[in-house]
Amino acid sequence: MSLNYQLFPISKPAKGAGGKTGNWRIVRPLVHEDKCVGCKACYIWCPEGTIIIKDGKVAVDYEYCKGCGVCSNVCPAKAIEMVSES
Amino acid sequence: MMEKVISGNDAVALAVKLSRVKVTGIYPITPQTYIIESLSEMKDRGELETEIIRVESEHSAMAATFGAAAAGVRAYTATASQGLLYMHEMVWWVAGSRIPVVMTVGTRAVGPPWNIWNEHTDFMSERDSGWIMAFASTPQEAMDLSIMAFRITEDERVFLPMMVGMDGFILSHTKTRVYVPSQEEVDSYLPPRRQPYVLDPEDPIAMGNMFSPEDYMKLRESIHRAQIASKEVIVEAGKEYMKRVVPIGSYSTLNESYKLEDADYAVVVMGAWSLDAMQAVDELRKEWLKVGVYRIRFVRPWAEEEVVKALKDKSVLVLDRSVSFGRGGQLYTEVKASLPDADIKGVITGLGGVSIGKNEMKAIIRKFVERPQGIEWFYPKEVGKIELRSPRYIK
Repeated sequence: MSLNYQLFPISKPAKGAGGKTGNWRIVRPLVHEDKCVGCKACYIWCPEGTIIIKDGKVAVDYEYCKGCGVCSNVCPAKAIEMVSES
Repeated sequence: MMEKVISGNDAVALAVKLSRVKVTGIYPITPQTYIIESLSEMKDRGELETEIIRVESEHSAMAATFGAAAAGVRAYTATASQGLLYMHEMVWWVAGSRIPVVMTVGTRAVGPPWNIWNEHTDFMSERDSGWIMAFASTPQEAMDLSIMAFRITEDERVFLPMMVGMDGFILSHTKTRVYVPSQEEVDSYLPPRRQPYVLDPEDPIAMGNMFSPEDYMKLRESIHRAQIASKEVIVEAGKEYMKRVVPIGSYSTLNESYKLEDADYAVVVMGAWSLDAMQAVDELRKEWLKVGVYRIRFVRPWAEEEVVKALKDKSVLVLDRSVSFGRGGQLYTEVKASLPDADIKGVITGLGGVSIGKNEMKAIIRKFVERPQGIEWFYPKEVGKIELRSPRYIK
């Protein structure tokens, strides 16, 4: 008996084109790697899931980052600076 | 296998223990409360390795059970009446998510007015939710079906939850002889847990998300086809159960026929009063009345082929212990849909604990045979005082 009829209502999480930032962001987070202690507070708090962990240090996915500044605010080491886009 | 004199609730609790259920979400509601009390006592004595989650409502009981099942363990809960109605949303959520869960429904009337006695309306109200729905006629069958339920729901052809109905008080609280299988027998019968997908932080998936209309409809069709495919699985599971676990059952078909081969009249029933109907038929046969009983064990999937084969060319009387207001009994409409050209009558009785025994069954069947236009509602006694007031007009 074929099981082709069995379909299940789940999906894999993926980044969609709809969530991309475009050109309207006015500030962006700049990570100073020398100050970053790798605590991942920014990773936990980022509402858009745009913090990338690389070798214990953090980086930002600017394609999706909205520039809200939450990461900069929660960083205990003051390693994330919000800089102007212009 | 050993014999014990236990109630239906005890039998179901033992089935849960023997099936090695890992999580039960519990909330007490009459008449199933004793199942979860019994499970809690077993856990206290160290006989049961089950995580018991005490919750604040039946809605949460099903949600907790669903969550545990989605995380990959056997999960169980039990409810009744208003509790099942309160759970209604989660009942659909589980079936739509295709996660195998097993639940016992100790059937009971739905208020108002408040009534704790038996009928089938609560159970039948979940008919279209996508669950596989079996109804027991004895405590033995309640236990057998509860164990089989894990095997049926976890089959890759099915992956749907299953509820086992059991007449409140009549089965749940009456003690009778039950053959209880050993742990080894049940272990040899139930395969390891299987389910279509599992919550796993290493491999994240999104559940309960939004689907486009066409995809949604395709998933609905999938549930429908899994229900139909489950007929084959139920028969396989039943035969294997008789071979490995309890050899005294009769589970090689979905429903059961009793003295129907040569019968002119067939009485269709479901649940504990099937046995009263069988006794009534035995006595009526002594009066040369050729009558038999057809017992519905599975409401969903509906055993269309079996029903047609058993009931064609017979005058059929369907007894309903539930009602779809403005339409009639649910079993009646199901049987009528299978045999649109047959001579079928329906009687609604036994609601809210109205006692229907062998003698009342005989009276109903005699009336049906003598006056085949049928009776729609049957009361065994004079109806006592019901206070009716004239409508109050508001100025």
